[in-house]
Amino acid sequence: MSGAIPEQAKAEASSPLGLYVHVPFCASTCDFCAFYQKEPTADDVARFLRGIADEAALVAWPRPVTTVFWGGGTPGLLAPRHLAELAALVRAHCGGAPEEWTVELAPGSVTRERLAVLREAGVTRVSLGVQSFQPALLDALGRQHTREQVFAAHALVRAAGFPSVNLDLMFALPGQTAGEWASDVREAVALAPDHLSTYCLTFEEDTKLWLKLSQGRVKLDVEREAELYEATWAQLAAAGYAQYEVSNFARPGHACRHNLNTWRMHEWIGLGPSAASQHAGWRGGNVADLDKWIAGLARGERLTEDRVRLTPALLAEDALIFGLRMNAGVDLAPWRARTPEVPWPMVEDAIATLAAGGLLGREGDTVRLTDRGRIVADSVATELMAAFEPILETT
Amino acid sequence: MSAKYTRNFCIIAHVDHGKTTLSDRLLEHTNTVEQRVMTDQHLDAMDLEKERGITIKSHPVTMSYRAKDGHVYKLNLMDTPGHVDFSYEVSRSLAACEGAVLLIDAAQGVEAQTVANAHLAFGQKLKVIPVINKIDLPSANLELCMRQLEDILTIPAEEAILASGKSGIGIIDILEAVVSRVPSPRWTEYPQTRILVFDSLYDSYRGCIAYVRVFSGAIKARDMMLLMSNGEKSEVKEVGIFMPKMVKTDILRAGDVGYIVSTIKNTADVKTGDTITIANKPATEMLPGYKEVRPLVFCGLYPLESDDYEKLKAALGRLRLNDAAFVYSSESSLALGFGFRCGFLGLLHMEIIQERIRREHDVEIISTYPSVIYHMVRHGGELLEIDNPVNMPDPGELIEIREPTIRASIITPNDSMGDILALIMEKRGVCEHTDTLDMNRVMLRAVLPLNEILVDFNDRLKSVTHGYGSMDYELGDYQTSDLVKMDILINGDPVDAFSSIVHRDKAEGKGRQLCEKLAEIIPPQMFKVAIQAAIGGKVIARDNVREMRKDVTAKCYGGDISRKRKLLDKQKEGKKKMKLIGKVSIPPDAFIKVLQNN
Repeated sequence: MSGAIPEQAKAEASSPLGLYVHVPFCASTCDFCAFYQKEPTADDVARFLRGIADEAALVAWPRPVTTVFWGGGTPGLLAPRHLAELAALVRAHCGGAPEEWTVELAPGSVTRERLAVLREAGVTRVSLGVQSFQPALLDALGRQHTREQVFAAHALVRAAGFPSVNLDLMFALPGQTAGEWASDVREAVALAPDHLSTYCLTFEEDTKLWLKLSQGRVKLDVEREAELYEATWAQLAAAGYAQYEVSNFARPGHACRHNLNTWRMHEWIGLGPSAASQHAGWRGGNVADLDKWIAGLARGERLTEDRVRLTPALLAEDALIFGLRMNAGVDLAPWRARTPEVPWPMVEDAIATLAAGGLLGREGDTVRLTDRGRIVADSVATELMAAFEPILETT
Repeated sequence: MSAKYTRNFCIIAHVDHGKTTLSDRLLEHTNTVEQRVMTDQHLDAMDLEKERGITIKSHPVTMSYRAKDGHVYKLNLMDTPGHVDFSYEVSRSLAACEGAVLLIDAAQGVEAQTVANAHLAFGQKLKVIPVINKIDLPSANLELCMRQLEDILTIPAEEAILASGKSGIGIIDILEAVVSRVPSPRWTEYPQTRILVFDSLYDSYRGCIAYVRVFSGAIKARDMMLLMSNGEKSEVKEVGIFMPKMVKTDILRAGDVGYIVSTIKNTADVKTGDTITIANKPATEMLPGYKEVRPLVFCGLYPLESDDYEKLKAALGRLRLNDAAFVYSSESSLALGFGFRCGFLGLLHMEIIQERIRREHDVEIISTYPSVIYHMVRHGGELLEIDNPVNMPDPGELIEIREPTIRASIITPNDSMGDILALIMEKRGVCEHTDTLDMNRVMLRAVLPLNEILVDFNDRLKSVTHGYGSMDYELGDYQTSDLVKMDILINGDPVDAFSSIVHRDKAEGKGRQLCEKLAEIIPPQMFKVAIQAAIGGKVIARDNVREMRKDVTAKCYGGDISRKRKLLDKQKEGKKKMKLIGKVSIPPDAFIKVLQNN
């Protein structure tokens, strides 16, 4: 064996690199949203753009960027000229045109001008935060758009000629019936997007929804959620959208590469307040506060929170537990080669037990969840994590 | 002060009939009350005692009372444990007295424990002074209480003193009755020193402190004392009396109640009921009534976290120091790891010890199904005493199995009689005798297998009688029974902690109940998990644990990974707190829940 370090270096040199930009502005806060965002002032936008430039300058860019993803917040809240400015900043560090460049847009923010700027800049993929087609539910979620705006936005995006379009939908909303959800999926499919993300409503701390849940105004119903998951998977498969991750479905060739690379534990650089990074041996998130983020940058510092040192063993563990969320599963062979310190026989035992229980399947070195395993993927993950435990406790 | 002016007495009563309040009044009237400061050791046990309305440890106290006859009397009030589990301890406390104040709640009348205690007192030849307490309650029924005194307890009604501890009515009458009716200390003329040990306490500085009643002779510091049950000698360091705080005195004489500190460290060496004499001039006969106390009920106690094994061991050691009736030895279980087999006087004793381990020693524990001592006779006649189902030999090796029984006195309202008889039947008991107590109540005497009353008998009794029924019991004989070992299997693996010895006819019902209960309290699992009850490999009942329906995070992108990892780590830690049995994670409280309400 030549040792882990050269293997790892080799793997990283040839591996993809992502760039995530967090645009922290929203016009209002949705009930379910736990992302960092604020209502912008004119000055905030300028400071944000300057901050992105400063932060990008602090990064030691290791190789050309493969994929770009702008999320938020609502990147579409930026004026066309600011979008152009941000795009220029990004391009300057990409080392050529990225293979995939996604921008999240709220339907209410979609305009011909903005789309033109993005298309011109090289954006390849637009993700529309539709959430629902039911006016009452949109209202209940605190969303700032109407059903009509969704259709209008979609038409504009298509007309602008983006190669790939995604619609985000949410289910298990308070008060939503199974029929309403099936109808949402049908309406989304009717628009013929290239990609669909369907998210089971998650109650996250620090959201208005959480507050409602804790006050008993909204109830959790695991059985109902499970039924909706299963119904969604069946409905979308029948409509020609292949599931490639727990919440993601695409027509052939339209899976989001940026996210696939994340789940494969490749590297990505995050810019902007609260943006997460995983590169240069660490993982962490930028400070989730525009002012603090800027203040740090002024001192030549990227202020990060929850920073952890990445070890090959940790990456192997995460590649397995997060990778299993993908329908393609995880190829263990390269990880086994990279991380001899991982107690693979214990991991294999855990895999065998889970396989015997019908939760995952195995072909050669590739393990993948069954449908039954996917719906309890978090429990599967904790089982596997327990197998990694001895090594992580000693490192 | 000569023994002529000493009176040793106790107060006996059913739970809640007002013993504590009345004791306080007596202390007040004799001006003992200012000193009524509990020692730290007592305070430890106090919360539990108060919560459960029972006395676990003796709290003797010496009072000084100027009677109407002009003499000052030394009144030693013995506090007696108030539960059947401690009936031997009660009998030793009673043996230290010449009289007993028998309290009856004017509204409740005679209860099972009143009868049991009165019989114990008669057995010790004590002068019983009946006191009808709480006479100022609107619901007081004096006439009924008087009739019950005569009919059930054969005590002349005119002897009864009417009192209210709460209002202070009748307190002087009681004190006067103690002086005039209770005889002065007995057996004082015996030629050598004889001292009864009726309780003991462990003190970390002074070692074992024996609570004693001197019958004859005297004892003082620097005497060489001799424990008659085992011949052990030790030097007396200090003697004193309870005021109720321990107060050092020069000497304890015939008739006195007090304490002895000696060079003995371990309370297990100073057994309740033993006789202390003076080594260089020893008595030849012990005081009557000494018994080796043997635990009746056993269970395994295991630390929830295996790291706490040493902590649990230390806790058991500390408890044992203060409670010689509690025994333990190490054992191991496939399901629960390393732990201890523990023996108790009864269920209440078991509950109290478990509670004290949790509260005072801060160790989370899991207990296995309680068991009694079965006598199993092998071919060839060898008798085995089995207190753990795991150790039961193959039934093919056995000629017969015998189980301990109890003789119970149950008092029930007339209209619950049918339900009580059904309950006794269900518990394989035989009702041998019924007595009408009054218009509304009946007293039943029944023989029941001890293992049938271990878990829920008292709760069931309370439930079918709407809280009005009460029970007391004493140990009976062993009887031959058709008993089998029932195993519980989770995913095909037997879980030794859930094994129990049951009557063959009840195995199926109990097995089904256990399986259902486990299926209900084991949280949903990723896999299909079967729970089975089996006798010798034959499955008699089964159920399935619910399958986990959904456990997956919807959004898991780059920014979510750190947070998600934290959540999964937390989930993993939570799982570690569970006991992994047959690949099933069982929360520790599942054991307690299963064992509790069966």
